[in-house]
Amino acid sequence: MKKHYISGLILSLLVAVAAIAFVPGAAAGETPGTGTAIGQPVADFTLPDPDGKTHSFASLKGKNGTLFIFIATRCPVSNGYNERMEKVWQDYRARGINVVGINANSTETAADVKTHAAEKGLTFQILKDDGKVADQLGAAVTPEAYLIDASGKLVYHGRIDNSIKGDAIISTDLRDAIDSMLAGKPIAKTEAKAFGCSIKRGK
Amino acid sequence: MITSASLRNCLIALVCGTALLILPGWPAAARSVPQRKTSTRQKRKARLPSLIGTQIRVIDEAGVKRLLERGTPPQERPLLVNFWATWCVPCREEFPDLVKIDADYRDKGLEFVTISLDDLTEMKTAVTSFLRSQRAKMPVFLLDVPDQGTIIELIDETWHGDMPATFLYDQTGKVVYKYRGPIKPEELRAEIDKLIGIKQ
Repeated sequence: MKKHYISGLILSLLVAVAAIAFVPGAAAGETPGTGTAIGQPVADFTLPDPDGKTHSFASLKGKNGTLFIFIATRCPVSNGYNERMEKVWQDYRARGINVVGINANSTETAADVKTHAAEKGLTFQILKDDGKVADQLGAAVTPEAYLIDASGKLVYHGRIDNSIKGDAIISTDLRDAIDSMLAGKPIAKTEAKAFGCSIKRGK
Repeated sequence: MITSASLRNCLIALVCGTALLILPGWPAAARSVPQRKTSTRQKRKARLPSLIGTQIRVIDEAGVKRLLERGTPPQERPLLVNFWATWCVPCREEFPDLVKIDADYRDKGLEFVTISLDDLTEMKTAVTSFLRSQRAKMPVFLLDVPDQGTIIELIDETWHGDMPATFLYDQTGKVVYKYRGPIKPEELRAEIDKLIGIKQ
């Protein structure tokens, strides 16, 4: 009986492996894991700031929500959003939203992050990630935003708006999501995408 | 040994495979991609024209859809699509490999186009000079859409829009290989060989 159970298990494992092996369109490359899905709680983590001081997600939580944005120092798309990211921080900090930048590019050092933030006038907290939080959240591109509500659940994921240069904005997806969350209304669009730079994980 | 990376790839493969299984068939016959001065080409049906030298054209959402419609009956050639931009450093770094693949496979039956995310104002400047420096001969399209998200979703639901990204479609329009990040030339060549019937 037990033997049958084990061979059955092995057989189904083989079938599963074969199914994966023969599925067309197998993905490869620097792709993130499945990450955290909309509606799921974001598990606690810790990351250092550019000075080496460690911050936990719990300690970074805003009263009414937390916004993580994966950013880069050398990505033109991320840099195109510097002013708009700073404005989101300035506009929503008094309303209980904490904005935190995360730099997960292995090609950009903590010193780069510090210099870049000073040069570009980014005054929100920026943390340095070796890829573990990018993996946890499933981030692949800069800029890529993750909005988390007061209860710690992911409620919006994706782009800031639809226009890299900011001259053809027709959809302010991130702000719409924050406004809906603060108003206690359902978020109409919980995910939206835009082209950007791939996050260069160091592994 | 199962590494976390291979486990992750397996998971992604599973997710992507499932997504593919529920994709509808690719409809209708392919048409040539819209161009500005193209009266003769537009009348000519079927696949993209073979090109001598670099051609840069603008493509909109309908154009991308037409490009991907390999259609029934199946096309003669598989299609390779690469998304890039001159401002994307890893895209620039992989470009020589793509130019070589184009040179090696165009006469062997591969259709290869690249789609650039450069700003339209740079079409005749940065994009042209980069392609010239690369001696690139494949058709290049500049994407012109109000909402890039629709294109990313259209190409691949699991893709976040990170570049470079490369997709290989078989003669029926099915994605048989995709790669996010700078390509591994040998891996991509092996996949193309399978499609055009070259024994390995």
